Amino acid sequence: MRVTERPAPEPARFDRDWWRARSELGVCALLALAGVLVLVDSLLGTDAGSDSDPLGPHAVPTVLGIGLLVLAALLAVDVLRGGHGEAEAGEDVELGTPPDLRSVGALAGIVVAAALLIPILGWPLTGAGLFYGAAYVLGARSFPRDLLVASAVSLLTWVVFDALLGVDLPGGPLMGVF
Amino acid sequence: MDVLGSLLDGFGNALTPVNLLFAALGVLLGTAIGVLPGIGPAMAVALLLPVTYAFDPTGAFILFAGIYFGAMFGGSTTSILLNTPGESASVVAAIEGNPMARSGRGAQALAAAAVGHFVGGMIGVIGLVVLAPLVATVAVDIGAPDYLAVMVLAFVAVTSVLGSSRVRGFASLAIGLTIGLVGLDALTGQARLTFGVPQLADGIDVVIVAVGLFAIGEALWVAAHLRRTAQAPIPVGRPWLSRDDLRRTWKPWLRGPFIGFPFGAIPAGGAEVPTFLSYVAERRLSKHKDEFGSGAIEGVAGPESAASASSAGTLATMLTLGLPTTAIAAVMLAAFQQFGIQPGPLLFVNEAELVWTLIASLFIGLVLLLALNLPLAPLWARLLRIPRPYLYAGILFFACVGAYAVSGQPVDLVVLLVIGAVGFLMRRYGLPVLPAIIGVILGPDAELQLRRALQIADGDWATLVSTPLSIAIYLIIVALLVVPVVRRRMTRDDTERKDLVGS
Amino acid sequence: MRIGQVLTAVAAVAALLLVPPLIGAAGGGGDGSQVRGLRILVPNSPGSGYDLTARTAATALEDSGLTGSVEVFNLPGAGGTVGLGRTVTESGNDRLVMSMGLGVVGAVFTNDSPAKLADVTPVARLTEESEVVVVADDSPYRSVDDLIAVWKADPGGVPVGGGSSPGGPDHLAPMLIAQAIGLAPRDVNYVAYDGGGELLAAILGSKVAFGVSGVGEYADQIAAGELRVLAVSAGERVAGLDAPTLREAGVDVEFTNWRGVVAPPDLDEQARAELVDLLTALRGTPQWTEALQRNGWTDAFLPGEGFGAFLTAENDRVADVLRGLGLAS
Repeated sequence: MRVTERPAPEPARFDRDWWRARSELGVCALLALAGVLVLVDSLLGTDAGSDSDPLGPHAVPTVLGIGLLVLAALLAVDVLRGGHGEAEAGEDVELGTPPDLRSVGALAGIVVAAALLIPILGWPLTGAGLFYGAAYVLGARSFPRDLLVASAVSLLTWVVFDALLGVDLPGGPLMGVF
Repeated sequence: MDVLGSLLDGFGNALTPVNLLFAALGVLLGTAIGVLPGIGPAMAVALLLPVTYAFDPTGAFILFAGIYFGAMFGGSTTSILLNTPGESASVVAAIEGNPMARSGRGAQALAAAAVGHFVGGMIGVIGLVVLAPLVATVAVDIGAPDYLAVMVLAFVAVTSVLGSSRVRGFASLAIGLTIGLVGLDALTGQARLTFGVPQLADGIDVVIVAVGLFAIGEALWVAAHLRRTAQAPIPVGRPWLSRDDLRRTWKPWLRGPFIGFPFGAIPAGGAEVPTFLSYVAERRLSKHKDEFGSGAIEGVAGPESAASASSAGTLATMLTLGLPTTAIAAVMLAAFQQFGIQPGPLLFVNEAELVWTLIASLFIGLVLLLALNLPLAPLWARLLRIPRPYLYAGILFFACVGAYAVSGQPVDLVVLLVIGAVGFLMRRYGLPVLPAIIGVILGPDAELQLRRALQIADGDWATLVSTPLSIAIYLIIVALLVVPVVRRRMTRDDTERKDLVGS
Repeated sequence: MRIGQVLTAVAAVAALLLVPPLIGAAGGGGDGSQVRGLRILVPNSPGSGYDLTARTAATALEDSGLTGSVEVFNLPGAGGTVGLGRTVTESGNDRLVMSMGLGVVGAVFTNDSPAKLADVTPVARLTEESEVVVVADDSPYRSVDDLIAVWKADPGGVPVGGGSSPGGPDHLAPMLIAQAIGLAPRDVNYVAYDGGGELLAAILGSKVAFGVSGVGEYADQIAAGELRVLAVSAGERVAGLDAPTLREAGVDVEFTNWRGVVAPPDLDEQARAELVDLLTALRGTPQWTEALQRNGWTDAFLPGEGFGAFLTAENDRVADVLRGLGLAS
């Protein structure tokens, strides 16, 4: 039924603009991928458990996997018919601009770096780095103040969690030196 | 049994200066710890348990009760202000509470939550006093088929929060269900979607999912589209609830406990499902449906009241049956045992004085909680005036502390980030976040109850409609599904007839 | 960049590095005869059984002056195998021990954990708790014989409730009983509940035919007459319970849910002996005796190599059951 709505010549449908306008198809691909993953995982699982469990551990994942594939298809149809999800607006968000993926990547990188550094540098230093880095990416440029705030927040957190509450947060490479 | 006399005696014992101090200390500590990321009420009590050996049992339990209610409330504070739920019962509070805070109504959201906790707790504790013997007999009769029926009801209710595009709503729900699947299957021990990573074997905690989707997702989204022009600080607004706010919230406050208390009292109830059901109910009943999703105060008042009442229900079952229905109740049970006291059928006989003192101190604790937190609400709300980079860096920081502190494992930061990336994509492509959270909460429960019911009945599907309660709930579901359709048809008939008359 | 700014930055980093160790050191102290810097890893969350054991032991160690301050930290996950994995990687570290128990043995199989119990150094078994076979007061079963007769005839129609997931104590006990009376584990209709609380409701509400759980969980309900104990799983009768052991009831199974302590692999003989001696000394302290009583734990002290042999035997027994269920290879 949508044949009539778009008289554009065939080859043009595959140019970059066409894809950019329909980048939501990537969501469909991810959903389908999740569906395949769930199905494969449930097919590879062993038949463990009791004979009295008629459904077993794989029935629900199988249904869900199929559901994911169906939803991926339905969403793809919706997108190709011109439907699109409304990006979320907000006070601090300016939707007119193209997404600043470098900032997003930087934030993600900071979190991953923190995960890697906690066992080596301990929480106070890593946490301060996490806070400072994130604030920098988000536009904080007041140099000594940012670092002092980050250090204070991180150190205070460590004191409250580790020293006062007994929740273990690694203290850093110098722990036990004194 | 002279309930009133015993309760008055209890107040007599609880109102000593020392016990009042314990109650106040408990509420304060609980709120403070509840605000900390990653430390929920259960962990708070577990951590403070060793400190209390030195106290006499009465003082210790008054302290615990204060911590319990305080921590439940503290969790909603971060939910509302930072979009970072401290524990699972306050996930729902973030949905309406955070938009309210962003538009300068943070104080009102916090006040609605505080009063909701007070009202819910009060009604819940009254329920505890009046219904405790009844709870003991009813709780054990509720079986897997009944739980499943409730889950189905909850899933039907989900359809009302799917958002404008059904397919996107369902996609979000499916994402949540998939996340909920991760971990060892509770009934067989079979690993599902763990990819051999041992840290995934216990599944992904709903708090991690909520913090990832809400807080990390938002931080990434803001980073992608940061408003580089000068930003006005978030307005603080009026400090108190207005007359209009009160008009909108008193009914949700009173309705919440009737959903929360029964769920808290039944063995597999907990606080997540009732907060969500209360949210959906308020959304349906509200005259301001259009405000839901962008800061409707009813959506904070109802669920918070339900959460608080569910804690009271949890205590009712723990005291009368010795049956811990939530993690915190299990920890408190261990605490009781430390003092050589065994909650259960004999408790009210053997330790009557302690029990009634504890119940009296619950009332006192709730009053103190309100008295402390209502004045603090406007102060908390000022927290949002800090510059945006610090605000979002702080959210990211606290989300990471929370994820790491609970497990002590760096891998959890990566899990958090992956879920945050999903949250980012969902924001970018207009997938509603709420159904995903609900999928994580309901999915595993529904599967477990379905399979458990079938297993107990040795594979007989008829068991699913074998109890009066389950049949009743399914009838309600049918009514919920059919009535709107019929009504729509009737009004359509009506208008058609009018049209005919008109022409 | 001005000098002042650089100095501020250096000061901040120095504070981050130095303050935590200084605070940590402030809590230490003690004289030279004590074991210093001992840490106890708890492989599940605060408030759990292993956590309670570890914190109780730590307090007793400190109060009795056997050690300086002992740090207890939690590393929960995958039924304790995440913590086990960590212990294995701490090879040679003689200042770390892990609180563990029977549950970890099963979890190694269900989680297909690469870290095995054979890798770690056994230090001592500390406590044990008997499991009980219980039914509701209004249940038709009055003895183990009654139950077995019906169970063997229709295993699917006799759901067994337990408070642990597959591989845990409440799951293993009925499986071992089933094996002893000639039922295959796969035929057992085991229904897993989330802890003793949920299970209790299911037993009282007759959702399951019988339940298996730790004796300590239901002392009060048994005393109140709401639950009837058909048998206890330990080798000897449990004081205060009018119930036979499984052996006495004609089922050849002896089973307890035990807790103990293990250390990282590759400890030299001296370090190993020091840890064993420390726990032996702990067991002799009045603080530990008092803690056992307060918590209702049964002393089951078994140090060093004896514990090692016991671990191996338990491991084999658990592996056998789980293999029958397709949960172990």
